[in-house]
Formats: sequence, C-alpha cells, structure tokens
Amino acid sequence: MRYEVFRQDKPGAYHTHCGDVHAPDREMALLFAQIQHGRRMQTNSLWVVPKEEIGEVDTDEAAFGGTTDKAYRWATTYNVDASFAEEIEASEREQAAEERKRGSDD
Amino acid sequence: MDLATVESRAEPRAFSPKHDLPEEYRTGATRMLQFHANSEIMGAYLEKPFIRQSPSLDRKLAFSAKVQDEIGHGQLLYRAAEALGVKTREQMLDELANGEGKFLNCFHYEMTDWWETPMIAFFVDGAAMKRQATLKNSSWEPYAHAMDKICFEEGFHIKHGEDVLRELATGSKREQKLLQEAFEEWWPRILQFFGPTDDQSTHHDFMAKVGLKTASNDELRQAFLNSYVPKAEKYGLEIPDEPRIHYDEDAGGYVLEEDDLDWEEFFAITKNDYEPGLNQIDTRAAAQEAVEWVRTSLDASDSPAAAAAGGD
Amino acid sequence: MAATDDVADLAPDERAALEALLFRMADDEFVLAERYTEWQVRAPTLESDLALANIAQDELGHARLWYDALQGLGYSEPELVWERNPADFRHSILVELPFTGGDWADPIVRSYLYDEAEHLRLQALEDAPVRALADPIGKVQREEEYHREHAQSWLERLCDDAEGREAVEAAVGRLFGPALTLFVPGEHEATVERMGLRSESLADQREQWLDVVVPFLGSLGVEVPFGPEEDVDDLLPERVGRDGNHTDDWPALHEELTRTYRELGRSDARRLRGERRE
Repeated sequence: MRYEVFRQDKPGAYHTHCGDVHAPDREMALLFAQIQHGRRMQTNSLWVVPKEEIGEVDTDEAAFGGTTDKAYRWATTYNVDASFAEEIEASEREQAAEERKRGSDD
Repeated sequence: MDLATVESRAEPRAFSPKHDLPEEYRTGATRMLQFHANSEIMGAYLEKPFIRQSPSLDRKLAFSAKVQDEIGHGQLLYRAAEALGVKTREQMLDELANGEGKFLNCFHYEMTDWWETPMIAFFVDGAAMKRQATLKNSSWEPYAHAMDKICFEEGFHIKHGEDVLRELATGSKREQKLLQEAFEEWWPRILQFFGPTDDQSTHHDFMAKVGLKTASNDELRQAFLNSYVPKAEKYGLEIPDEPRIHYDEDAGGYVLEEDDLDWEEFFAITKNDYEPGLNQIDTRAAAQEAVEWVRTSLDASDSPAAAAAGGD
Repeated sequence: MAATDDVADLAPDERAALEALLFRMADDEFVLAERYTEWQVRAPTLESDLALANIAQDELGHARLWYDALQGLGYSEPELVWERNPADFRHSILVELPFTGGDWADPIVRSYLYDEAEHLRLQALEDAPVRALADPIGKVQREEEYHREHAQSWLERLCDDAEGREAVEAAVGRLFGPALTLFVPGEHEATVERMGLRSESLADQREQWLDVVVPFLGSLGVEVPFGPEEDVDDLLPERVGRDGNHTDDWPALHEELTRTYRELGRSDARRLRGERRE
C-alpha cells in the first residue's frame, strides 16, 4: 500500500508533501518514512496518509480564485493608506505577493 | 506533559495536537478559540444584511466577500479548537445557538444602517487585527496557523472598511453627520473591545504563562488607539468627550479613563445577558435549526463511505 | 452580420436588440445573486456557506460584466440598477422568487435549473458577431462549470435519502414553471434572430434544456411536474418577467436593495479605485 508523506521541518511549521513510502500498514509506513524522508532533512514531525484517501483537483478542472474580475477581494484594490498599522501593511504586502504569483501563472 | 513543562516550553507554535497537554491548557485554549470562532460567526451575522444594503455593485461584491471570509475564519478557528480534543465543531456551534457560547461585546449590538458599517469593518476589525497579529505567536500551533491565513485576508477587510469610511466622511453633510452619530454610539463599545484592564482579567496570568496570550489587554488597546485615533481624526470624526482619553507624552500613548465606561453593560454582555445580543443569538439559532435536516441528510449519506474507508 | 466591436455601426433597432439581450442576462445574474446572498450565514454548514457565497459573487460579477457592456452603450450604473424602475428589469421570475427559511433544496434546484439553461445560453453566444457579447463568454463559462457541478453534486447527495428527495421534488414542482420563463422571448426577439446574435434559438435551447434536466432529475428518482403526454407549456406562469411583468416579490426586493442608495440621496455608485479590469 502507498502512503503519501508530509514533513514538518521544525515545531510550528507546516507539514508539506515530500514523497511517499510503500508499506503494509500505517505503523510500518511511519517506520519507513523516518528513514526515507527524515534521515537527512531537518525533521520535527511526519504525517503519513494512505494515497487513496487523497483527493485532488487541479487547474485543468478548476478555475481557482475565479476567471472573472475579483479585485474586490484584494487589499491592493483599495486606495487607502495601510501604513498606519504594521499588521495591516503586512497583510497587504502578503496579498500583493500572492497576487504577483497568481499573475505570473497566467 | 505537566503544567510546569508547558510553561517552560511555551514558545510560539510550540504545541501541536501530537502533544499530551494538560487539561488546563486544553480547556483554556478551547475557551479562547471558541470565543474567537463564535465572534467570527456573529460578526458575519451582523454584517450580512449590508450585502443587500450596499449602495453600489462593487460594494455589494466586497461585502459579500467579507462576510464569506468571516465564515471562513470561523471554519479555521473551530478546526484549531477541535484539535484540542475538548469539543467538536458541532458542539461549539450548538453552544453558540443555545446561548452558552460567548463572543465579542461589539457583536451583541444591533447594526441597522449603512453608515454604521465602518464601525465594525474598520474600527472593530482593526482592533481585532491588533490582537490577531500577536496570536501568530500563540503556543498552540493550529491557532497560529489559522492566524497566518486570517491575518493574510484581513488587510482587505480593513482597507475596504476604511474606504467606506472615507466615502461617507467625504460625502454630503448629512452623511458626515450620520457617520459622526454612529461613531459616538460605537466608540465606547470599541474601547471595551479589549476588555477590562489586566488586573481585573481573571484568566490573563495563566493564559500568558502558557503562551496562549502574547500581549496584554492594555498593550493592545494602547496600540489600537495609537493607530486608529489619528485615523478617526483624519476623517474629521470628533472623539467624544466621554469616555475621556488623553495623550500622555511620557507614556508615549493614549490613556483611557476606564471608569467612564459602562462595565455593568459589558459584563451583562459577556454573560450573554443583553437583549439585542440575545435576539441575534436566537435568530441565528433558528436559521441553523432550519437547515438541520440537511446536515442529518449529509451525515446519513456520509456514513457508508466513512465505514468503507475503515478509519479509526 | 460581420463581427463588430463598434456598436456605433448598428442600426437603432439592432442596438435595441443588443441592449435587450444584455439586460436579460445582466438582470438574471444580478437578481439571482441577490437572492443567493440570503443564504450567507444561513447555509447548512460552514463549507456550504462559503461555496454558495462564492457562487453568488460569481453571478454578481457576471451581472457587473454585462452591466459594464451596457455602460459601454452609454448607461450609468445608477440608471442600470439603483434608479431603474423595477418594471424595467427583464429577468426571469425564477430568480426573483423569495426563499423559504431552511429550504436548502430550493437554492440547489434553482441553481441547477438556472445553470443548465445559462450554460446553453452562453454556448449560443460564443460566436456572436458583437465583441461585447462574445468576448466575456469563455471566462464566464469557466465559472459556470463549478456552479453546475455544485448543483448536480448537491442534488445527488440530497436525493440519497427520502426526506431530501421529497424536498428536492417539492422544489422542482414549484420552480419548473418559473424556470421555463428563462426561455421566453422578449420584445426584440425577431431582430436578435435576424442579427444572428445566437447560434441556437430560445426554443431550441429550451428543447435541449428539457433533454438534459428531465432525465437527470429522473435518474435521481425525482419526478418533473408534467407527464409524457402533457404540454410543458401548461406550466408556464402568467407572469414571466421577460416583459417587465414580475411577481410582487420583485419590486419589494428592489425597494430593499436600493434603500441605502435612496436614504443617502446618492446619485452615483462607487466604483472601487485602483481596480484593474481585464
């Protein structure tokens, strides 16, 4: 059976997909994953998930975030100054970065 | 893990669902997250009528998107709460419906007119952002992760709120007058957003020690006033004479005369014992009850798949 | 008719026909979205709340797109929405009917009946010889795909148990007639046909729609409210909306949604600044 493996490098970080292992059950999958995916990369935690439990939808099937104008959802659309509060400025910065990423995919 | 160990290890994002955490931590974190999640839902409830009341297509889109985001925040926060293993999401939503679930003071008041919307969408959300930014450092990792996404989205909400505020503040004389009236009505409630001073706050010490609260009520209110009083003034809003606040050069910030605020009302609200709020709880509960049949129907069609998956 | 991106080339009757077509689409999407938003904070689960809110925003965005096209023909947003006489709206009555609290089957069935029709309507406009009409179709269709999948999936889940199927059947019984008004021609239909704006007539679209929705609902054990020998036209309601003759629910809704605009004595509708339009 195939298990997909997700690694978290340090406490508090996100688990991200790093590969898989073939194993008869979850317990063995955890044993194998420690070696295959945790023996060199900095690792704080691993998750294993049976492959068949993972559903997927990708850009061939879905228009993530829509195809028509959704500018109203983005902080960058509003011409008011965010610099008065550090946390609002940070949010706007993150959104702008995300928008750039989305834009470059087109 | 015992409490002393938790305290010694209470770094940002230190604890995950994998850890065996003491009862006190789990219930404390659940109470905080449940309050936060409930507040997202009740905030959305309060703002929802303004999707319809928006006076332009773009505003309507923005309001719908904002209410949608708030429900999404509720979804994230209930999940972070659920991961503590104390209550399920369903339990927490049921508690919100039956009046046990607590939520932010500001969302117990009625909001009936468009010109009131910046009071929530700019000031209250702005206050919430002050707190939320500090919660990115919560010791409960799922909480901090939820905050990453929520803070990412909030920039839109607050800038949109300010844009509505600006439009009213630069609108007709009548719009300016209505805006000022709304501000005077909401200002004391907004000041109470952060609750009473820390020495009156019962849970604060414990929550700070275990890394669930990373800033005090006073610090947050101070930071809020520093950012938002100049904004209010910029848009020509007059800060009401009472509750008294003054700028203290030595402290480098605003000082609030807390005794000027109606704490009796505040504590009635915190016990869900305040009429407009109760009405809002009940009407939301009725709406939730009305679609109970759908959840039952989904659960019924869920179970064969769940059984087939053989999860434990 | 040759492809044109300059509506100035159109004869007055052609321009009126183009406008009529845009109004039908814009008004349908606008009013449907307005009704959908009633489910925000009221849907059965948090996830379904988010999804329907998104569909509402999509539809409202499409309405804005078609209203934008009308702005290109000289109208302003206040004229199109905020100060317009409710009797001048040309949406189908399907989209204006109010929801009953808790009846989740209604928005799902309504969405299903509408989105299948919408899909056919957009398909028929893909090669329209007017760019304002043809250009946005691809982007709009892409979002409509999700709407159809969403409605179909919900119908399948709801029809999995008896109570859900009953609710769906009741909604189909109530909404099927109003849905037929989607295909009722308007005043300028002859000109629309002559200009070749649509590749399929409304009558043909209705046939195709019936060929899709009746068997699908049947496959879920849901009966449509007419027998094989009966004329489906008997279900057509007296008021169809397409001629401005609406149910009483519409002026009431219009009154409600223009409240702030009227109370503040606005004469302009705010467009967001800094917004990039494609």
